[in-house]
Amino acid sequence: MRDYYVLLGGFGSGKSEMALNLALEKVKTGPCMLVDLDVINPYFRVSEREEMLNRAGIELISPPYSMKKIEIMSLSPRVYAAFAPGEGTVIFDVGGDHVGAAALGQYKPNFSRIPPENLNILFVVNPMRPVAADLQSAWGLMGKVEGVSRLHFTGIVNNGNMAEESDLTHLLAGYDLVKELSDKTGVPVWGTCGQQTLLEEFSAYAKEHGLEEKYIGKRYPVEILMHRSWAKYLKEGL
Amino acid sequence: MAKKLMKGCEAIAEAAIQAGCRYFFGYPITPQNDIPEYMSLRLPQVGGCFLQAESELAAINMVYGAGGAGARVMTSSSSPGISLKQEGISTCCAAEIPCVVVNMMRGGPGLGNIQASQGDYFQAVKGGGHGDYHMVVYAPSSIQETVDMMQKAFDTADKYRTPVMILADGLIGQMMEPVELKENKDLVLPEKPWAATGYTPGGKKPRSVLNSLYIETEDLDELLERLFARYAVIEANEQMWECYNTEGAEYILCAYGTVARVCKAAIRILGEQGIKVGLVRPITLWPFPTKAVHDAVVQDSVKEALTVEVSSGQMVEDIRLAVNGEKPVQFMGKPGSHIPSAEEIAERILQMRRA
Repeated sequence: MRDYYVLLGGFGSGKSEMALNLALEKVKTGPCMLVDLDVINPYFRVSEREEMLNRAGIELISPPYSMKKIEIMSLSPRVYAAFAPGEGTVIFDVGGDHVGAAALGQYKPNFSRIPPENLNILFVVNPMRPVAADLQSAWGLMGKVEGVSRLHFTGIVNNGNMAEESDLTHLLAGYDLVKELSDKTGVPVWGTCGQQTLLEEFSAYAKEHGLEEKYIGKRYPVEILMHRSWAKYLKEGL
Repeated sequence: MAKKLMKGCEAIAEAAIQAGCRYFFGYPITPQNDIPEYMSLRLPQVGGCFLQAESELAAINMVYGAGGAGARVMTSSSSPGISLKQEGISTCCAAEIPCVVVNMMRGGPGLGNIQASQGDYFQAVKGGGHGDYHMVVYAPSSIQETVDMMQKAFDTADKYRTPVMILADGLIGQMMEPVELKENKDLVLPEKPWAATGYTPGGKKPRSVLNSLYIETEDLDELLERLFARYAVIEANEQMWECYNTEGAEYILCAYGTVARVCKAAIRILGEQGIKVGLVRPITLWPFPTKAVHDAVVQDSVKEALTVEVSSGQMVEDIRLAVNGEKPVQFMGKPGSHIPSAEEIAERILQMRRA
């Protein structure tokens, strides 16, 4: 049976970055498929990393319009291949907010046939983004996303970051927010995401100041693959 | 306010609201839809009005109406949509309507593509609409700069009673960067005694007429004299540019918008090889910083200049006019949406050096 990861959350919460990292990790132990289900963003989408994903042996399913420079937002029939019996991991990278999550709703019958233990529906939170900066807005967004995606969250991810200017304070702000959000909704914290050195710094701080493990979850180190610095990402295309 | 991680389009919309903009009229087009989407959520919260018009033509004429009534108003679009707005922009210039127009450029001509481009330079600075006019054109190269510019854009529009354009490539709208928005609690909007806010018969205020039709030759002459006298003041006072590493440089890169950032990366690469290269970046494309460009390029140390654009060569014409044949000016760029890499730009400078 395949394991499924569906990454949802606010616009710019870091879903694509996490999706790429998760795919590169999972492909080491078995087949991995990455579904680009973003119907929102014309630029900065995982499909732009097709070459890198192909090199790593990850199967990418892109919408037919993606990177073809047209604007008809339609979904590939190949998305259904993600629900065929098989082994390994399937990752869905979904567009931001409830607007982007609406694309998932039509797959409800397919998702409901997947055993709960194989299904990870994750809400990615970055408190540095104004759209989900506090409990009220993050909680409100979570409800809207659940409504249109017709899926229930199984985990919350702390992805507090400020792009190139990320530091410990952003992960700590994320910790405070996911703690409140988890208490409010009963959805457990799946993990905390960040660049390796920042995560180590965060873990040390957590130990010293007694942050609760259940609000940290697994430490999930990510490498920045999507949003590169100017010099770097222009080298590999947009 | 503390820094936030914002997408360019969101940041532009929020900065406009902070600058006192309360009216937005537009029609959707990629890659700037996040601006109207954000405005549709935020403007009602601050007592403003967002309206999705039935077309670009309708939208720009609603801007004419709101601007004419003295409100701070903006519209945004991307290249093909801006073409549709040109008649209205020309009309706003003639009727001296302050307003802000954002163009998130995409590939053209025609419907082109939806990737970032700089193909609308000519349209923006050489008068995309009909008639003798100019408008102030700002070209930001980062989200923070765009945000800071929004306040200035509205102030400049009011100060000179003129439309102002923010000309950015699609990347500026779609990328995310940390940004600090300055809350403007003490914002006082200038008095606009000329605005058409209602006429009371027998009242003190004369009837306000905002018009672009001047049938009599003498009347049109008078309007144009007034406009061009004002343009001379704008040219004298409003030029903006950035000189980066230019003093004593061997080569000067000329670029605006996001390409200028790639140029800075190229300058670092060449610097590591002991080659001193500078950048002159026009921030206002009209008024064009002619003297600043001239002074940067026509230094004794400079061998040649290289203009880099995401077009087949548009701003390069103004660069050459500024340099006036005193140094060779080469061009690098491709039509469509090809953004050169820092390595490509560095390689081009190395080629020029070998030649």
